[in-house]
Amino acid sequence: MLAYGFAQRALVGGVLIALVCSLISFFVVVRRLAFVGMGISHAAFGGVGIGLAAGIDPLLAAGLFCAAVSLGIGWFSRRGRVHEDTVIGILFAAAMALGVLLVRLAKAYNLDLMSYLFGSILALSWSDVSVIAVVAALASAFVILFFKELLFISFDEETAAASGLPVSFVYYGLLVVMAVTIVVSIKLVGIVLVSALLVIPGAAGMQVSRNYRGVLAVSLTVGVSCVTLGLYLSYWFDVASGAAIVLTLFVAFLACMAFSPRRAYMRRWRRER
Amino acid sequence: MGGCRVAEFFSAHDGAKPVIDLAGVWAELDGRTVLEDITFSLRSGIFLGLIGPNGAGKTTLIKVLLGLVKHTRGTVKVMGMDPRELRHELHHIGYMPQQVLFDPYFPLSVYDVVMMGRICCIGTLRFPGRGDREAVRESIEAVGLAGLEKRPIGELSGGQQKKAFLARALCLETRILLLDEPTAGLDFEAQESFMDLLVRLREERGLSVVFVSHDVNVLARFADEIVCINRTMHMHGRPSEVLGSERLKEAYRCEFDFLAGTHGESWPKEG
Repeated sequence: MLAYGFAQRALVGGVLIALVCSLISFFVVVRRLAFVGMGISHAAFGGVGIGLAAGIDPLLAAGLFCAAVSLGIGWFSRRGRVHEDTVIGILFAAAMALGVLLVRLAKAYNLDLMSYLFGSILALSWSDVSVIAVVAALASAFVILFFKELLFISFDEETAAASGLPVSFVYYGLLVVMAVTIVVSIKLVGIVLVSALLVIPGAAGMQVSRNYRGVLAVSLTVGVSCVTLGLYLSYWFDVASGAAIVLTLFVAFLACMAFSPRRAYMRRWRRER
Repeated sequence: MGGCRVAEFFSAHDGAKPVIDLAGVWAELDGRTVLEDITFSLRSGIFLGLIGPNGAGKTTLIKVLLGLVKHTRGTVKVMGMDPRELRHELHHIGYMPQQVLFDPYFPLSVYDVVMMGRICCIGTLRFPGRGDREAVRESIEAVGLAGLEKRPIGELSGGQQKKAFLARALCLETRILLLDEPTAGLDFEAQESFMDLLVRLREERGLSVVFVSHDVNVLARFADEIVCINRTMHMHGRPSEVLGSERLKEAYRCEFDFLAGTHGESWPKEG
């Protein structure tokens, strides 16, 4: 498989995406931002529609649009006195509807909508991989630089604010980082399935460890290995790469849940050893 | 820099100038006035109990002192500065919120939670140094949680969690402690243990304490002064003066014997 250029690009891009998504996934799970991720990823369809209608690169338009939507979700839920899930429910449906409308108006009939929605192993060019590398580096840098602040804010936002930490900056920063990471992952995983990459690795880690270092280690391992395996499965069975990756992640999550120290039978087994 | 200003503040005034000083303070939440004309001061080393019925504005007042809620009128001085101007000086203020709602599976150990108290002085792009690690260990030992450092925070009892949050509030160069109902939800034994610990640490470190509580029995025993508010200022005085006063019933808008169950006849603070 690796003899083919498209497979090499998919593997390099996939591993980079897996690394950054698994890192962000930790905060998505502990801060309960799973629905935010889903909202932003679906809103990307609106951005794609704007790009097609305006004649600019659909993913560039989706990146800018998703960053704006993520800031809107953050602002409305913090300042607008509307629950976060309500805001997301409204914004992502409206953005998807906008996408459908604009794709129709732009008469982009030759656009492979299925690859946008469910990902394609054939979709990445080397320039896409370069963009993924730059975004992954910037997103990872943000999470690493503000890791302890993100951790404090995720655990106890009020005391973090009382300690003088830049709570709003870090919160909005995380949302924007999520948005751009989602957008660069779309070609490989697809709009519908990309949010799974932001949830499952962290959720699997939470099943296995009760310390954030362990959760991060498991999250990164699960993310990278499942994306790699999912790409192989996508190639061998000729299915959408997003579906293969997400199903592999789901199996890994079930395995982590089954062997979790939280399970009573696992605690008994440990004691008996 | 901030540390120097705080040291100067405490050495120059030698406890004579209030560490907290409020004069005619008003504050709003969502356009609704929640504090009206609050005036009182707290001298260094004093344990001040803050009481009032639910919705009286006690938590808002604590947030005003932390600079989290802007006061709309009057002046607020914390260590001689407006709370909104506090930067490094925040290292000298320990805060325990009313409730920390966290997932019991949140992947943090006791050590990690206490280390959070040091984050504001570690700074961005830096990792905790040896000094930070030592301060955290000392703080954990001081509250009696030595040996539980690696235990997940969600596995601790309510009383132990409160002690961990107290350790977090104390692991800086803390001079002022702002505690928002720290004993709420604790059983009698855990409450006693927490209060004994607080009194000991306060004496050892010369802390000034603002302690929000509904438990007048606890305040009658441990507070030097009590402030009662119900949106506006009602009373400020020694526990015997405040808790025995008719004006307290006005603040709570009910007929209630606040001295019942306290050491009403011989107040411990008066010897």
